[in-house]
Amino acid sequence: MTRRAPLVLIAPSLAVFVTLFVAPFAYFFLMSFWKKQRFTIEREFNLDNYYAAVTDENLEIGINTLIVAVSVALTTTILGFIYAWIVRFKAGNWGKALLFVALVTLFGGYLMKIYAWKTILGNEGVLNTALQTLGLIDEPIAALLYSPGAVIVTLTHFLLPFAILPIYGSMRSISDIEMEAARDLGARPWQVLAGIIVPRCRAGIVTAFLFAFLIAAGDYITPQLVGGKLTMTGNMIALQFGQRFNWPLGAAMSFVVLTTALFVIAATHSLMALWRPR
Amino acid sequence: MTANTVIWRIVAAIFVFVLLSPLLLVILFAFTNRSLANFPIEHLSFQWWGEMVSHRQFAAAFWNSLIVGGVVGVISAVVGTAAAMGFARLPPRQAGIGIAILSLPLMMPPLVLAVSLLTAFVSVGMTLSLTTVILSHLLFTQPFVILVVYARMTAFDWRVVDSARDLGASPFRAFLTVTLPIIQPTVIGAALFAVALSIDDFVITLFTIGEGNTLPIFVWGMMRTGLKPTVNAIGTLIILMSIGLTLIALWLTRYRG
Repeated sequence: MTRRAPLVLIAPSLAVFVTLFVAPFAYFFLMSFWKKQRFTIEREFNLDNYYAAVTDENLEIGINTLIVAVSVALTTTILGFIYAWIVRFKAGNWGKALLFVALVTLFGGYLMKIYAWKTILGNEGVLNTALQTLGLIDEPIAALLYSPGAVIVTLTHFLLPFAILPIYGSMRSISDIEMEAARDLGARPWQVLAGIIVPRCRAGIVTAFLFAFLIAAGDYITPQLVGGKLTMTGNMIALQFGQRFNWPLGAAMSFVVLTTALFVIAATHSLMALWRPR
Repeated sequence: MTANTVIWRIVAAIFVFVLLSPLLLVILFAFTNRSLANFPIEHLSFQWWGEMVSHRQFAAAFWNSLIVGGVVGVISAVVGTAAAMGFARLPPRQAGIGIAILSLPLMMPPLVLAVSLLTAFVSVGMTLSLTTVILSHLLFTQPFVILVVYARMTAFDWRVVDSARDLGASPFRAFLTVTLPIIQPTVIGAALFAVALSIDDFVITLFTIGEGNTLPIFVWGMMRTGLKPTVNAIGTLIILMSIGLTLIALWLTRYRG
């Protein structure tokens, strides 16, 4: 095998990546500095879009988006950790079945999962009718749907399998011997958890948290379908590529989201790096 | 069995219930006769499936989904398998970095990916069509194929290929007659993952398709005009297609996370 063979084989894949990811993003980045005129886009460098993207209503929407995305990422990561922990340490032979459930729900209907929560949480939905039939409430609780809470529940449900798999992946490599040794030396269960399991799963936890954060921060279908008055930055971006037809502003907003995400990534990495095995 | 294990079993059962029940409800309500997706269920019926099939936009959306999914599956299987073969010949560290870079599109919010693709297509003067959808899908399906096939290649016995080469087979011939038959189930499984992801995709398709419909775009239009169980029927179709393909793919690749 010649030394150049690997590159030739990787080339088509790399071509797809460069022409459909690198080049479009570079162009998109340039566009974020251009200006929308009435029906045209003026290619003149300016920072107006970025100013508009982080002031007034967009600032407020951005902060709400950040709160929702962090809540979703935290809930998803904690629940994903518990699930992975059950699979690895508690479920025994059932662990495989639990893992299978996570793998299957990974696929199968992003849109339909949101729709499902609409049928569950709506005024005439499954939960409200059930509570009414049981006589626990008289009027349907409207706030179940069309609220930030509904967005968090829906996104957490959608993202949970994506969190379980990487956390479980890193949990699999923890040796039982190490944990038994800690126990024999008198460590309490929570000490084993905080001193061995969590630090050993750092990579999986960080991946799960960041993925959930990125997807939640950039989502716009969930707030549109179940969020009610909650507007997220994604809704504003989608709007610039729809009715408002202001692509440069939409591009600037996208890069504000990505930059914020980079800060969250850096912060998460350095925070988790402090949590070392003891 | 201690009290401790009982508690963990209950917690696990709650998790499984919450993970699965939303999808199962969508499927269940697709088979009822009420015009509202809710309990109590009076009769089981296929009336919403009839309505779905007779909808004038259904056939086109269904075919478009199959065309896009099929083409994306084949192309990303070829391109992705080639790349995985290349990475398998590199030192693991370099391969890991390379695969991580090619997987970057998966770490992007789909909306941002979608609008940057839309901008790029329009700027080079491409008309939005199924072609632009297929190109866009390749970007996020090829990393899956590369990951799955590369994982298989790490457990591959290269000596069989070496023998073929020693006996005079060209690298390509050795791949076709020796390597491919051995890893074929993995490649097909990886392709099916790609098809499942493509059929399920909504956000990227929405921005890159222009006029037409795929099943998720079609159901999105219906969801906004009113909630009828026809939505459940189409949704069930999408769920069964993507989960069905995933199950076959999991079985073929024996991929365990």
